[in-house]
Amino acid sequence: MGFILYFITRRVLQGFFIVFIVTFFIFMIMRIVPGDPVRLMVGGAAPDIVLEKVARQLGLKDPLLVQFGRYLRDILHGHFGHSFIRPKSGGSVGGEAWDDPRMHPRAEVLDLIIERIPLTLMLAGMAMTWALVLSIPLGIVAGIKEGSWIDKVATFFCATSISVPNFWLGIVLMLFVSLKLGLLPAIGYRGFSYVILPSFVISLELAPILLRTVRASMIDVLQMNFVKVARARGLSRATILFKHCIRNSLVPVLNVLGVQIGILLGGVIVVEFVFDYPGLGLLTIFAVLQRDFPLIQGIVILFSSVFVFINIVVDLLCSYVDPRLEF
Amino acid sequence: MKVKTRHRKGEPVKGVTRRSFVKTSLKVGAGLAAYPMLAKNFRFFRGTAHAVVPDDTVVFLSAENITGNWDPSSHTTLAQINIEGFVFNYLIRCPMRPENPEEIVYELATSQKIVDPNIIEYTLQKGVRFHDGKEFGADDVKATFEYASDVNKAAGAWYPGGCEVEIVDKHTCRVHTKKWGYPATQFWFRTAFLPIMSANDIKDPRVLAQRLNGTGAFRFVKQDKDDTVMAANEDYFRGAPKIKHLHFVYVPDSTTRLISLQSGESDVIERLETEQVDVVEKDKNLKLNSAISVENKYLWFRCSKEPFKDWRVRRAAAHAIDRSAIWQILGKSGHPSYTHISPVKFGYTKVPGYPEYDPVACKRFLSEAGFPGGKGLPQLEYITSVGFYPKTKEYGEVITAMLQEAGFPVKLSVMETAAWNQKLYDRPGGGPGHMIDCGWCTASPEPDFILRMHFHSSSKRICGVVDAEIDASLDIERNATSIKERRVILQQETLPLLAERVPSLSLFTSVFIHAIDKNLNNYYLYPNGMMDLEKATKA
Repeated sequence: MGFILYFITRRVLQGFFIVFIVTFFIFMIMRIVPGDPVRLMVGGAAPDIVLEKVARQLGLKDPLLVQFGRYLRDILHGHFGHSFIRPKSGGSVGGEAWDDPRMHPRAEVLDLIIERIPLTLMLAGMAMTWALVLSIPLGIVAGIKEGSWIDKVATFFCATSISVPNFWLGIVLMLFVSLKLGLLPAIGYRGFSYVILPSFVISLELAPILLRTVRASMIDVLQMNFVKVARARGLSRATILFKHCIRNSLVPVLNVLGVQIGILLGGVIVVEFVFDYPGLGLLTIFAVLQRDFPLIQGIVILFSSVFVFINIVVDLLCSYVDPRLEF
Repeated sequence: MKVKTRHRKGEPVKGVTRRSFVKTSLKVGAGLAAYPMLAKNFRFFRGTAHAVVPDDTVVFLSAENITGNWDPSSHTTLAQINIEGFVFNYLIRCPMRPENPEEIVYELATSQKIVDPNIIEYTLQKGVRFHDGKEFGADDVKATFEYASDVNKAAGAWYPGGCEVEIVDKHTCRVHTKKWGYPATQFWFRTAFLPIMSANDIKDPRVLAQRLNGTGAFRFVKQDKDDTVMAANEDYFRGAPKIKHLHFVYVPDSTTRLISLQSGESDVIERLETEQVDVVEKDKNLKLNSAISVENKYLWFRCSKEPFKDWRVRRAAAHAIDRSAIWQILGKSGHPSYTHISPVKFGYTKVPGYPEYDPVACKRFLSEAGFPGGKGLPQLEYITSVGFYPKTKEYGEVITAMLQEAGFPVKLSVMETAAWNQKLYDRPGGGPGHMIDCGWCTASPEPDFILRMHFHSSSKRICGVVDAEIDASLDIERNATSIKERRVILQQETLPLLAERVPSLSLFTSVFIHAIDKNLNNYYLYPNGMMDLEKATKA
């Protein structure tokens, strides 16, 4: 128990530090890049004096470190700020008169994120499921039958799917599966069937790396002494494979899975935009286009926290699969 | 990472181990993740395999988002104006067909009449009710006109000044403009752009901002994120529409919009790109609606700073540009332009001598302005955008090359829409850069929505031009006391003067292309993108 507490405490503290660094950088970058959010809020024709006034109201004229300190303090109080652009209805809006006292109250960043998390989680979870279903059986067989036609097919699949851009593949699959065959809906979200196609597109980015890792790991394990000894002990081929080899080959796969979360989150952003899927990815694209600083910061903090958390879980899973490991 | 033996086989393990901890955590985690999905959003696991829009429903995919403030006088956003077109009625509507841009169709008015140079009289429809049940009458017209023409409002810029409305009887009213110094003819076409609001709502503008309440064929139901949900007005005074449900959805990506239409998940999409037109033409389930729009695309010169303060430099630049090359790039998305207004605007005419590609004239004007062959010109910046208008980058590069060939030291800055929008308007001392690309689109044949707004020194939104002769000409055409007189002044004086001084160069007139499900019929698409579904059917 003491080990677990020590492990978790250490990793959580490391995680906080990583999230802090990410928060700092994203906060600074957003304020350095071209594009003034206040201009977007007040409208192109508003005089500069109005721009100045609104920027002061929002605290955007304070020194950057002061702004960052204030932001951190708010986060520690559980307040991620209000979207610069989105009203409480959550829709994407723009061009509202800056000085209209009836201007809709802006939405809480946390509310906007929480509202969309289930959809993105479902998309990411489904994508990971697709990736595992595609890569693990094919990787294992390719590893066992190294150099065979299956191995060559697996290598071809990896090379092809990793080279194809996901936005292009998304459009092609929409044209073929939705338009030509009429099997699945193309855009938006009105039920689970809307998740299948975009998740498959994301999974084709994840699967090649997983497949190659499983294959390489399997080849390594099959050449280890304990496998040769197991044969000498008279264990059946199936027992050796399923009870010993597969389990031992999974540790590198789990480690790769942790890294894959980054690719998964990137894929979610692009694919959600292509499929007009109303999750966090689409929200992120709009937030960037509209220079919605608080929303971008909130999403990035969430993504980095998810990344850190998943990697802690992966480490724990690795130690579960291989009890000899200690981190 | 290091490898270490933690326990021997057969040795009992006491307390919590990593393995038992992970096992328990996985079970608890899975339970926690599954519960809210199953309990709160059972719809996750439902959904049709292929969601085709039902026959009594129309889904319109918009390329632009809305403002979130439903007061029609609070904004100038095209997508929201399109929504208002479904929910509100107007006193008149103008179909704005190129063959007859002055055509008027009466809606809430049954007639309009100039009774005095400063008075226009409207007689109104009887038996019309707002969606909240209030009976429509002259009090609503009075409230709407006086409220919307307040020049301090965002949309107040569309009006030449305030006005006062006299209620003659319940269904007759007169708009007075004398106090504000402009003639009543200014309302002849402008009313086609003014949705009639309820006087009760205007008494409390907070209510106006929260929801739409008109007399139109569709009533506002709710805003569901990017989906504006509307339903048929069963008590509509011209008969209940056959389309019972209407969704106006913001989908920013043009490819996504097209695929949605092709897969039957939407019925109408707007702002097709040139390449998509061919795809739609080949699809037997779709049809195209292609119409010359009210929008001209301009190359705006920053007239309030050097070197474009001098109209001769602007003329030289205009003569350096071969617009036929731009029209080729645009293909079906552009229509040749020969004046500063679209062919569907009141007063349109092909202006003789509109600046055409003429290298000799270009050289002459540059020399007269003191920059022979372009020598002495400062480094110039030409700003354009990508992502909203079609082919801006492509023809921007062509214009840059042409100007460089004529001796203008031009650098093209291509920006995404948000950054471009930030640099669009004139500021004290001149707007950013020296030239900027932008279109202007308004839902009325009224030419002053462009001419006065952009070229009169009291407004000069983008180009920042201050020219006493242009001001005088715009004042004369505005003050014309009859439609006929105004048309003559526009065609013979104002538009030719603008062609001579070129505060902006009209590059082309946009062609608005909509792709529509072939089963949708009996609709009308206005040249500003508004759609009339009053009589529409789907079969």
